[in-house]
Amino acid sequence: MNFRRMMAVAMVAAGGFWSVAAQAEETVAWWDFLGGGDGVRMKQMISDFNAAHAGKIKIDATTLEWGTPFYAKVQTSAGVGEAPDVMTYHASRIPLAVSQDILEEITADDMSKMGLSASDFAQTTMDAVTVDGKQYAVPLDTHPIVLYYNRDLLKKAGVLGADGRPMGMKNKEEFTATLQKLKDAGVEFPLGSVTADGNFMYRTIYSLVCQQGGELLTGNEFLAGDNPEKLEKALAVLQGWTKAGLQSTYTDYPATVALFTSGKAAMMINGVWEVPTMTDLAKQGKLFDWGAVEIPVIFDKPCTYADSHSFAIPKNKGKGISPQKRAAVLEVISWMDKHSLFWATAGHIPAYKPVTETAEYKAMEPNATYSPLTANMIFDPKSPKAGVAGPIFDIMSNYFVPTLNGEMDPGEAVKSIKEELNSM
Amino acid sequence: MLRNFRTERLVALVLVAPFLAIYLLTFVYPTVQMFRISFTDAPLIGTGRWVGLDNYLRLDNDPMFRRALWNTAYFVLMTVVPGTLIALLIALGVSRLKGRFQSIVLALFFLPYILPVSVVYLIWDWTLNFQFGIAMHVLDWLGIPRVPVFKSRLWFLPAVAGVTIWWTAGFSILLFLAGLRSIPAEIYEAAALDNSTRWTTFRRITWPLLWPITSLVFTIQLILQLKIFDQVYLFSIGGRPNDNMVLVYYVFQKAFQQNQGGRAAAVAVTLFVLVVVVSVLQFQLLRFAERRRR
Repeated sequence: MNFRRMMAVAMVAAGGFWSVAAQAEETVAWWDFLGGGDGVRMKQMISDFNAAHAGKIKIDATTLEWGTPFYAKVQTSAGVGEAPDVMTYHASRIPLAVSQDILEEITADDMSKMGLSASDFAQTTMDAVTVDGKQYAVPLDTHPIVLYYNRDLLKKAGVLGADGRPMGMKNKEEFTATLQKLKDAGVEFPLGSVTADGNFMYRTIYSLVCQQGGELLTGNEFLAGDNPEKLEKALAVLQGWTKAGLQSTYTDYPATVALFTSGKAAMMINGVWEVPTMTDLAKQGKLFDWGAVEIPVIFDKPCTYADSHSFAIPKNKGKGISPQKRAAVLEVISWMDKHSLFWATAGHIPAYKPVTETAEYKAMEPNATYSPLTANMIFDPKSPKAGVAGPIFDIMSNYFVPTLNGEMDPGEAVKSIKEELNSM
Repeated sequence: MLRNFRTERLVALVLVAPFLAIYLLTFVYPTVQMFRISFTDAPLIGTGRWVGLDNYLRLDNDPMFRRALWNTAYFVLMTVVPGTLIALLIALGVSRLKGRFQSIVLALFFLPYILPVSVVYLIWDWTLNFQFGIAMHVLDWLGIPRVPVFKSRLWFLPAVAGVTIWWTAGFSILLFLAGLRSIPAEIYEAAALDNSTRWTTFRRITWPLLWPITSLVFTIQLILQLKIFDQVYLFSIGGRPNDNMVLVYYVFQKAFQQNQGGRAAAVAVTLFVLVVVVSVLQFQLLRFAERRRR
């Protein structure tokens, strides 16, 4: 009798516990656009998060296609109240998103609930997620472009410095000489460049404009003052390399990576997100001795284009977010930022400074080698027309491909770009 | 027998209603909305201000729209007539074959048609990629410089047109074969008795009797190719989409990339009117040609 009663009590208790748990578990719908090597690492982080928050918060993640498909879907779904609870967002797209009114503001109260403060992030990165003094996202990382290089090939051509880095990183003449020496040593493509994809080359070209102290948007005018000449100079350098046979032509993105990893291209300018590709190949013993450094200084000062993956909360039309859900979302964002050391294995530089200050991060290669470039970063101009796969990207890239492959004169390209940008 | 028309009408209505409801909801309503939005400055989602004919007047001064129009026309020119003729030639060849061999050859020609467009893209990218395409190795071997087929302005549309013909010819061939089989054998026997040459037989018998099928294939192709999008979109990925701009792509770009729903709708309406005008015109022309021959 006693036993039976005990069982009953136990069952009721268990049942009660179960129902409480079921009620308390908050499911957070998550969308991201991370399909590459970094996507694999993000999935790992999500499952770690779910394990650490079992019974409390569960992330239900969906990966969508990067670029226009992702952003078109976010926009349409927010418009009809079907957007997720949290999503990854490029900092460069935030001004456009704000003008479309699809993002919730991240308040100071939210930040303190997450245990984060603005001073935990670099000034430039924080600025990139802020529009008119209001913060709209929490930065997860910054992802600049870097110069990847094949140490074996560089050593063979005699252009590998004693420090294990490429020689001639200080100015245009020296770097061109390095490329020429590689060519003379029989390397088919000294520099692997994504010359078929203007969208991609925007990053390199914008960096080179910045290296001359130029800017894209002055007030409301695109390419004001002497900025057209600066853009023209940047294009001329790259076209010069094409004409001298120093870089691959008409090469699309996957082909560029393949040229580099197969040893046909000695160097490659690409985003840090390709680091996992290299580390994974190297782990399987299928890659040469490789490294990644800040891109060379071609003009007056070091400068590198960067963007930031951040977390944003969509503003669902006609459907608010409950306080419990919002708290769960904030916990997700906060946890991800605080555990972003693992995210660094995807090549990205964590935005949360306490992570990059750890000894573990400082020992991480090649991240530690290129991390100092964060001091020389430039983000996209802050305009609703900016951002990856946005209108500025679109217009400029259209003239980059013919110019980089030697079909169009840089001066002519710049003239058309300026006209089109200003008539948008 | 007495018929109850009222009951019959009711039954008819009940039978037609499901179709009518779906048709009104998924076709007529969105079409009306498209016309309405084209007179506003609406973004992709949400409503906009009434701007009258502004969106249409802008098109007149829009170099990108003009390029899209020209590229679409160029593409139609390169696919519709050549595609119809090639399908006719292949159908004539296949119809001379007999039995199982004929089925095998027909199947080979029909095979590309069942492929989804994404697979078609992968096959041709794999073949013609500038760095790794197998065709480029053939060019190297022949000592001809490599051609960046899908990355150059000169080659892009002709190449996509070629791929499109390769992809869609199967269906036209099937229609032509059906047409050829419906021509009675006695007519050919009579012609053979009269010592008619092969060319005369084709010109005087096959071509006129096949005309209804030819004009059908032509019309289907014309409407299909005016709406070209998928191939151009896929082959332009990571390339220079603005140089390869076609009308439907422009609608997509305006709406989804530039967030201008109203202007996108105006382009869509223009394309809609264009398709209607061209197909009506073409239909009248073909009918006129048929009447004249009689």
